[in-house]
Amino acid sequence: MAQTETLKASKSVIRRNRIKTYFSKPHNVILLLLGIVTTFTTIAPIIAIIEDTFKIHPGTIDAYLTGRATGYSVVNYVDLFTSRMAKTNLWTPLLNTVYLAVGTCIVSILFGGIVAFLVTRTDLAWKQYISSIFIFPYIMPQWTLAVVWQNLFNSNKVTGTSNGLLASLFGINMPIWWCKGLFPSLVVLGLHYAPFAYILIGGIFRNMDANLEEAATILDTPKWKIMTRITLPMVKPAILSTILLVFGSAMGSYPVPHYLGLTTLSTKYVSMNSKYTGEASILAIIMMIFGVAIMLLNQLSLTSRKNYTTVTGKSGQISKIRLGKAGRYIIALILVILTFFTSIFPIISFAFETFLPNPGDYSFLYTGDVSNLTTKWWLTSENITENGMYGQMGILHNKTIWNAFKGTIFVSIACSLLAGTIGTLIGYAVSKDRRSRWTNYVNSVAFLPYLMPSIAVGVAYFILFSNKYVNLFNTYTLLIIVGTVKYIPFASRSSLNSMLQLSGEIEESAIILNIPWIKRMTRIIIPIQKSSIISGYLLPFMTCLRELSLFMLLCVQGFILSTTLDYFDEMGLYAFSSGINLILIITILIFNTIVNKVTGASLDKGIGG
Amino acid sequence: MKKMLALLLAGSMVLSLAACGSTGSGQASAPAAPAASEEAAPAAEAAAPAAEEAAPATEENLTKTQQIIKEAEGMTLEELAQKAIEESNGKMFYGVGNSSRGKSALPLFIEYLKTIDPSYNMEFEWQQPKNNKIFDQLTADSLKETGTFAMTLIQDGNQIESKMVQTGVLDTFIPKDWAEANGTTPEEYKGYLPLQTLNKVFEYNNTGSKVYDNVWDFVAEGEHGLYMDIDSEIVGKNFLYMLTRDDYAAWMKEAFEKLSDDEKAYFQPVITEMEADAQDLMLGPDAAYSLAWIKLWVESYNAQTDDGPICSTLVDASATDQFGLLVYSKLRSVEESASVSVNNINVAAYDDGYEGIGGYGYCHYLFVTDNSPLPWTACAFIAYMTCTTDGFSAWGKDMGGYSSNPKVLAENEEIYHHQTGGMAEDGTTVEFPAKNDRGYEWWTTDGKLVLEDPEYCASVAFTVGSWIEMLSKYSAE
Repeated sequence: MAQTETLKASKSVIRRNRIKTYFSKPHNVILLLLGIVTTFTTIAPIIAIIEDTFKIHPGTIDAYLTGRATGYSVVNYVDLFTSRMAKTNLWTPLLNTVYLAVGTCIVSILFGGIVAFLVTRTDLAWKQYISSIFIFPYIMPQWTLAVVWQNLFNSNKVTGTSNGLLASLFGINMPIWWCKGLFPSLVVLGLHYAPFAYILIGGIFRNMDANLEEAATILDTPKWKIMTRITLPMVKPAILSTILLVFGSAMGSYPVPHYLGLTTLSTKYVSMNSKYTGEASILAIIMMIFGVAIMLLNQLSLTSRKNYTTVTGKSGQISKIRLGKAGRYIIALILVILTFFTSIFPIISFAFETFLPNPGDYSFLYTGDVSNLTTKWWLTSENITENGMYGQMGILHNKTIWNAFKGTIFVSIACSLLAGTIGTLIGYAVSKDRRSRWTNYVNSVAFLPYLMPSIAVGVAYFILFSNKYVNLFNTYTLLIIVGTVKYIPFASRSSLNSMLQLSGEIEESAIILNIPWIKRMTRIIIPIQKSSIISGYLLPFMTCLRELSLFMLLCVQGFILSTTLDYFDEMGLYAFSSGINLILIITILIFNTIVNKVTGASLDKGIGG
Repeated sequence: MKKMLALLLAGSMVLSLAACGSTGSGQASAPAAPAASEEAAPAAEAAAPAAEEAAPATEENLTKTQQIIKEAEGMTLEELAQKAIEESNGKMFYGVGNSSRGKSALPLFIEYLKTIDPSYNMEFEWQQPKNNKIFDQLTADSLKETGTFAMTLIQDGNQIESKMVQTGVLDTFIPKDWAEANGTTPEEYKGYLPLQTLNKVFEYNNTGSKVYDNVWDFVAEGEHGLYMDIDSEIVGKNFLYMLTRDDYAAWMKEAFEKLSDDEKAYFQPVITEMEADAQDLMLGPDAAYSLAWIKLWVESYNAQTDDGPICSTLVDASATDQFGLLVYSKLRSVEESASVSVNNINVAAYDDGYEGIGGYGYCHYLFVTDNSPLPWTACAFIAYMTCTTDGFSAWGKDMGGYSSNPKVLAENEEIYHHQTGGMAEDGTTVEFPAKNDRGYEWWTTDGKLVLEDPEYCASVAFTVGSWIEMLSKYSAE
């Protein structure tokens, strides 16, 4: 009897032991803490924006329709969905947005994926150059490619503006569908996000174990079958990740459709915001619903997705496909020409623009007369309004630009460190226990802000933090919070993908040797997946440097460089915006080189060898 | 079905709303704007809005800033300057405005204060938001106990009234010297304080053979004028609202009657179609002409992000037969080169025989933010800009911007000679005809400038405004 009694442990002891066991695993502590934080940072803005859709805003349609200046009403919903304006304000922009997002995914995956394959799995020539240059469109703010597109293809005859380079030098007038609307928008965004696909898909291609393919080769399996049955399924997670990341980004892009004349939910939000404030918030919610829907689809695909351990304790050799003696150079040449137009030409164009006497004035090209060039955009040191300076000093003396530059660097470094660290920890913790519901919840909730279009997240945070109790409008704190929340998925995805490739046996052997968690992380896990983890820091940094849609409603222009750049672009002061673009590109290259030298990792590291 | 969907969505979200509490409704209870006066002085006449009558503000319910403003309205510029020096020496001044020139005016203001106190110094930052964001920024900033922005220079009387003044975000300060120059006093004058009236005028590229000699030519078949999107610059929409007012509608009819029979035959069906709409919208007898022009304009204009790019396009030799409606002063920014010249464009209203409106005019208003961190400095800066030629020089250097202070307007012309701004150095040869600004008087009479009236705009914003929004905007997609 007595023996029976001693074996019976109390429920509280059992519970305590369970809790103790639970918290003895570092990944559980990480999941709990970050789960709470990410829940707040994701849910609170959503609630704030939902509230805004019911709120009556003075001087707008809801106040007019209700006859009240304050209070709450459902009139915004009724008017948006049922008024005669529903097609113009809702359905057409919605359809355009979906087309744009899908088209962008297709372009970026095809372009980025093919180049990643060629660079990592074939004996293509000039890999290092192609790999480095390929990421340039992502470094540049997305709308700058749109501006370059306009400068190239616009013509008096078709777009009713002054001639672009193609029309003025060769008399070629491109058709309107090429110059304006959906096609150029999805190509520009596709090119902008192709480096995403390139990095994600290329990372898998590079790291994957060639044993499976080699086994298939030994079994005399045709090459196409190896590709469709082995190679592509292995990169499927990366393709899905790319879709996840690109779809929401394309959907929430404001500047590209704005410059290229496509009406999307983002552009409609901005144009409706003055008179239809509450209805505009509903548009933001609709964009968010898409984000949630994508996340749910991702969940479904996750449950059915097969896992592939591609990095094991054993070494994997990649067998490279031979393109042939001439083939490797011909394909490389095609890529060099393509990347010239997506990467080098814009930079030359930006640099050239800063020496033109008037925006878009290419007189120098026709005449060869250097008096049709100027250094005023760089060197003017007085506050003058003549000659198109609008009271701005030259770039080298312009305090607004350099203060914005400092602000951008500060916000980017802060976001990168916070998002990179939090994301890496989440990725690690999630990879340790993928079956638990809480794990899946944390993973999803941390990822959700990224799936939500940037402009919608910006709107939500603007509303959340613009009240009499907490007013963070136009503060770096707000930008850092929003940037961190938005960019955690960069790091968590990158980290999760790499952790999933990592066989559990590696860490388990360290646990057996009783090596503490910190040491396991810093001596084993992080060094092995260094390039992916550094990517998790570099991607938020780079993205943050030229982010506009996310920040445009949260601060005034001149606060950070992207809003300053957009301001100059909108004003048509392309010399300033081009100069800022050059500053951004040089900054990113410098940071990339420093990180490369110090850690041996870089954005495209390893992909191009 | 759609209604059901809307209600379903709304219903589901009501539940989430419950968690939010009922914050945010208190901000609209601030004192309303002072009522407008019908008897503004000549230069300010067009700019003084007739805002809705509101309860008179009493001493007790004045906010801290309003009390300062009341005191400041009894002071001369010199006295205000002294107060500003005491308040802002060594501090940071944030201003926000629709015009980038505030950035040029502030250093001059600081220099002026330094003439009184050489040790004075103030850092400053001037913001110029785009896309109508200025209202969001000021609203968000107004929620802070002490705001970031000390003052604003803002356009669009319609939104100013409903979103800024009635909600107590902005306060009007009328400088004593400005009121005197306009033959009134701060107490008597009840409108907003206009810094200047700006004009946007029709300009066309003349490198081809096409001539635009009637305002209806701008909406003829196949024409696509360059114009800032009316959803991003709302004063552009206000211009369209104004066209429906009886006097301007009569101008549209008058211009129509000067067209050839062929041209009339083209436009007549649209005018006839608009008659019913004009009645529905309770507009005057000639409004069908205006509505027809507005419809054709909205359905044809080629939307641009700013007047800067429009100007850059039009002055280029390659923009043959293109035209636009843009801020006149942009011409001053053009640098002559092999393919770019001011002489590549004509100002339509300057052409002999041109019929109809030449463009439209709107005001830049000055306000002190109700939670201004530097209210005295804001008042002094506002007085400096409106009462001195130096203060106005940031704008005064340009043609197409006319000070609301008659004294400053006259002095400015004496200094900058805008009416002969396009003459060569010899003073007799016309070098750039388009740069010879004919002045405010000419534009508002012979030039047939349509002037923005905030009260009228506000009254039709949700009638004519909604009708305009129903039109299919031209898109090159």
